Amino acid sequence: MKINLITGFLALLMLFSNKSKAQSFPSGKDIAQKTHEKNEGVSMSRKLTMELKDKRGKIRLRETISLRKYFGKEKRLAIFYQTPKSVQGTAFLTYDYPDVSVDDDQWLYMPALRKTRRISAANRGDYFLGTDLTYEDIKLETRISREDYNYKTVRKEMIDGQECYVLEGTPVSKEIAKELGYGKVKFWVDAKIWMLRKADSWDIAGNHLKTIEIKDIKKVQNIWTYHKIFAKNHKTNHETTFLISEIDYQTTISDDTFTKEAMVNGL
Amino acid sequence: MISKPYSLVILLLLIAGVYAQEKQYTFKEALESSLIVETDFSYEFDSQSLQKSEIILKPKFSYRVNKRSKLVLIGQVYSELNDNLEEEVPGQETVSDLSKRLFIGDRTDLELRELYFYTNVANKLRLTIGKQQIVWGETDGLKLLDIVNPQNFREFILDDFEDSRVPLWSIKGEFDIKDIAVQVVWIPDNTYHITQDFDAPFFTQNLFPKPPEGVTTVFNDALKPKRFIKDSDIGFRLSAFTQGWDISFNYFYYYDDLPAFYNKIEAFDTAPTVVISPRFERQHLVGGTFNKVFGSSTFRGEMAYVFDQNFISTNPVAMSGVENSDVFKSAIGIDYIKGESIISAQLFSDIITDDILAYNRDRFETNTSLKVSQEMMNDNLTLETLWVHNANHGDGYIRPQLSYWMNTSTQLFLESSVFYGDKNQLFGQFRDRSRVSVGMRWGI
Repeated sequence: MKINLITGFLALLMLFSNKSKAQSFPSGKDIAQKTHEKNEGVSMSRKLTMELKDKRGKIRLRETISLRKYFGKEKRLAIFYQTPKSVQGTAFLTYDYPDVSVDDDQWLYMPALRKTRRISAANRGDYFLGTDLTYEDIKLETRISREDYNYKTVRKEMIDGQECYVLEGTPVSKEIAKELGYGKVKFWVDAKIWMLRKADSWDIAGNHLKTIEIKDIKKVQNIWTYHKIFAKNHKTNHETTFLISEIDYQTTISDDTFTKEAMVNGL
Repeated sequence: MISKPYSLVILLLLIAGVYAQEKQYTFKEALESSLIVETDFSYEFDSQSLQKSEIILKPKFSYRVNKRSKLVLIGQVYSELNDNLEEEVPGQETVSDLSKRLFIGDRTDLELRELYFYTNVANKLRLTIGKQQIVWGETDGLKLLDIVNPQNFREFILDDFEDSRVPLWSIKGEFDIKDIAVQVVWIPDNTYHITQDFDAPFFTQNLFPKPPEGVTTVFNDALKPKRFIKDSDIGFRLSAFTQGWDISFNYFYYYDDLPAFYNKIEAFDTAPTVVISPRFERQHLVGGTFNKVFGSSTFRGEMAYVFDQNFISTNPVAMSGVENSDVFKSAIGIDYIKGESIISAQLFSDIITDDILAYNRDRFETNTSLKVSQEMMNDNLTLETLWVHNANHGDGYIRPQLSYWMNTSTQLFLESSVFYGDKNQLFGQFRDRSRVSVGMRWGI
């Protein structure tokens, strides 16, 4: 009887001890919120190089100039293709609205047609221009969604020598899972600067789908900035490396850069 | 006196010179160049011979004068090795002196495709001055508002519009009035459609009635506008993005790029002869476009109302064989995107408003188009099929295409263009021109 009492007491102690340990982690929701509070500056220009490597090792390069500006809480992004030279001038424009229930507006300028085509942004899980990141991944950059997942903060782990919270997330509904193309996600969020450092995702059937690693994070003009993203699709063995350079948060970008007319006139 | 588009060239150089004094870049930083090489070999099923063997070099130079200005030059060397599409050296009668191609032998020509100076004045006014392409409209495959630049019909409508569109010396000004983007265009370049000779593979015979048996035809030179200011084309476009709708209103005052084919029967040495006297004539066009996204689909439309369009008439009492009427053209389309697949359908209507007897067409004409596109292997491989069909006459064409990125710089193409229908109709007339093509595009 005495032994049973001691065992019971110890079990209770362990339970409370585990609970208090779990409570010492911020909630997934709070972490997600913090990733959205990071300073991104008002404007930014950068060179974005995409290296696409297929399972046979064939590499294709795309070089773009990317311009971004906040108009209040609305974010506008324009991407201008520099290479391949035969598609130089291709431009992509997005208006990203603060109200998550409102779809982005997107346009694609195709120099071969000299026409700007309006494109639907409803399919967030579609892959962005042949890369291994989806439109949603591109939109969030180093943030994680506040609305799409139920999170659980499971532990702390070191990534690239930095302490990160590990979050496991499951989509809040079947519809969201279908929209995003993910049945489960795992995020590693830097515990100091609140930037995503690594993400793993699984498809709806539970197969390991993708790994994304965000590397070379350092301050540029006093803003924490990533310089490399590596994404691997485990199903197709296709890889994309995004290299970011010539980053400038202090550049002056005129408002009319983010118009259909500017896409036609180019950089 | 300096005349015609030469004035535009001088203006362009003067402005570029003034801005060059504000230069902020080293020459190496300012100059960007590229070269695109395209080859296209087409085998014609009917004649079992090469329909075209094309090699095109497109050098492009862009010189950034300062942060808000650039000078762009795009040249072209075009060789058609079997000299079939435009046999020997074409006359280029419909092209202004400064826009003519320079032929080296029968098979090769040099062309200044574009040469323009672009500047953004105080973030208020964007000016593009020089030889350029100005494109309006939302439709694919068939044109309603995309009429600012004329077209070379060397391959009917099979050539890429980028290549078949004839750039013009012009000035384009763009500015904003509140949330409305205004574009004003002035085009003093008197260049019109480049149509083909009677014996060319893509001569559009459906435009002309055949003369009766034993009657010969004499074609007079087209009466073409020549005055620099008075004969220039002008137009504007107002566009806005509001409540998720992209809308535009367009107006264009221009010479129709096809002449009115006035004709009469005369007797030469007692032999009856049809004398055709083509004349380019003025038109007004008002139109507009709209588009909006609904979920995974983009709904889009385009309208054009043309005043006083000339038609060859079958009415025996028509003056000189030509009648005119206003024409209302419209197109609605839907693009559905799902993953790497795009399905795009369009419905075109063309209505002659007056009760005239236009040759070889109905007062109400309907065309449809369907394009299905599928990207695969992370956009390495694209499969696409375009089908255009005329509901009135049952003719049309189908164009399946496969393109593949070999590496960063090289894209390969395999495609076929198959025409079907009555030989007297717009598409059916080219049913013997159906072909299969292989090509490559390479750029550095």
